[in-house]
Amino acid sequence: MTRLVEVPAHFDDRSFDQFAGAFAEARRDDERLLFDAHAAEWASPYGLVGLLAAGQAARRPGSGSPAERPLLTAPTSLEVLSYWARAGFFREAAELFEIHGKVPRLKAAEESEVLLPVTPVRAAEDVHAVVSKIQQRASAILASELSLDPKATMGFAMALSEACQNIVEHAGTGGWVAVQAYNWRRKLARRVVVIAVADAGVGFRHSLEPTQNKRFGDRWGDAAALEAALVQGVSRFRDPGRGQGLAGIRRYLLRWTGKIAIRSGTARIAIVPQWDDDVPLKDGLPPFPGAQVLIIIPEQGSADR
Amino acid sequence: MIQYIDMHAVLQESISGVYADLVTRPTGRVVRERIERAIAGRGGDTGEITIARMDFTGVGCIDYSCADEIVAKLLRDRPAVLVLSGITDGHREAIEPVLSGHGLAVLIERADGTLESLGAAAAVAALLDELVARRLAARRPGGTYALTLA
Repeated sequence: MTRLVEVPAHFDDRSFDQFAGAFAEARRDDERLLFDAHAAEWASPYGLVGLLAAGQAARRPGSGSPAERPLLTAPTSLEVLSYWARAGFFREAAELFEIHGKVPRLKAAEESEVLLPVTPVRAAEDVHAVVSKIQQRASAILASELSLDPKATMGFAMALSEACQNIVEHAGTGGWVAVQAYNWRRKLARRVVVIAVADAGVGFRHSLEPTQNKRFGDRWGDAAALEAALVQGVSRFRDPGRGQGLAGIRRYLLRWTGKIAIRSGTARIAIVPQWDDDVPLKDGLPPFPGAQVLIIIPEQGSADR
Repeated sequence: MIQYIDMHAVLQESISGVYADLVTRPTGRVVRERIERAIAGRGGDTGEITIARMDFTGVGCIDYSCADEIVAKLLRDRPAVLVLSGITDGHREAIEPVLSGHGLAVLIERADGTLESLGAAAAVAALLDELVARRLAARRPGGTYALTLA
């Protein structure tokens, strides 16, 4: 028997909980999953890497047989299909899903909007490749389209590096990253650059549990783990130099009025800039494996819009 | 003796590929271990203070993890004075908070030879005193410092 997981028509960080709820419900009886994206109209980088993480998690442990991969119904809209292909989604999805529907044979884009197509991150070498590529591609975009000081490019690469390293160091499995620039009509009516990182690994709570469980006592859970990592700079390693990565990302985002949100397990934490009305911490969300990170850097000079 | 360390060359020897960025903890660890071996090989790990001039020319990006793994750990694990050159604003952005967080400091050698401090204020003062006491640096007219050995 196959269980259906509907991919939201507009699939982004806002609709992700709806997707996670359907995913959690469908996974209950360990049947094969069918991710139905046929009606998809739009997906953000966060949606795309999140869907890959779901596909990774839906492969039953110990399997490896292609027959046991989850199914994915590709979008029917040619425009959406084309965009997902250019964003590099299908290149990665082909390994994780048995895809149904016509998928265009397009290469991942070398166009202005897709600064980094969906890219796998499994090891430190992958982070090197991502950082190297983003510096070549992002410098002009950050300066010309977001009016960021050219000096900010290196900070952007640092933030990206640290976000990707969370996968390598903590997830216990591989994940994906994507970077894109687009007009964000929803909140700002201006250009933004978005970094989306997702994995289906062990998540923050599991990663921090051995060192932080006792400290938090009854409060311990996904929300407390996220708070410890993002707000308190806690790491699972006892080395005093650990925990620099997320702290560094926060400093960078503070300077450029950016936003970070991290979802892990049943909780989501965000550092919310003035231009956004997101909530700082949500608990009791539908469970979803691993961690999903969203970083948004807005065009500068119009922050009060 | 001041040891010279070409960070770009050490990076190239440490990782496969052609990357010019000091990113990730594993990379930082390998680079630091190479530097430590170089220091030990030149008799710099005998309990005496290690003084090293680390040239970052040609290094693209350095992230916080690498800054901690290389610069902070070299300072934490032994008595050492690090003089950084070829530093960009981006490098500084990663290194400064890591040093401040640990109460550590380094010196930056500007293109004109003068020294600038980076890191925790208390550690900066001690660092300059140490170099002057060892006659490795001297105060210049105008209050700036410069290394006495090129």
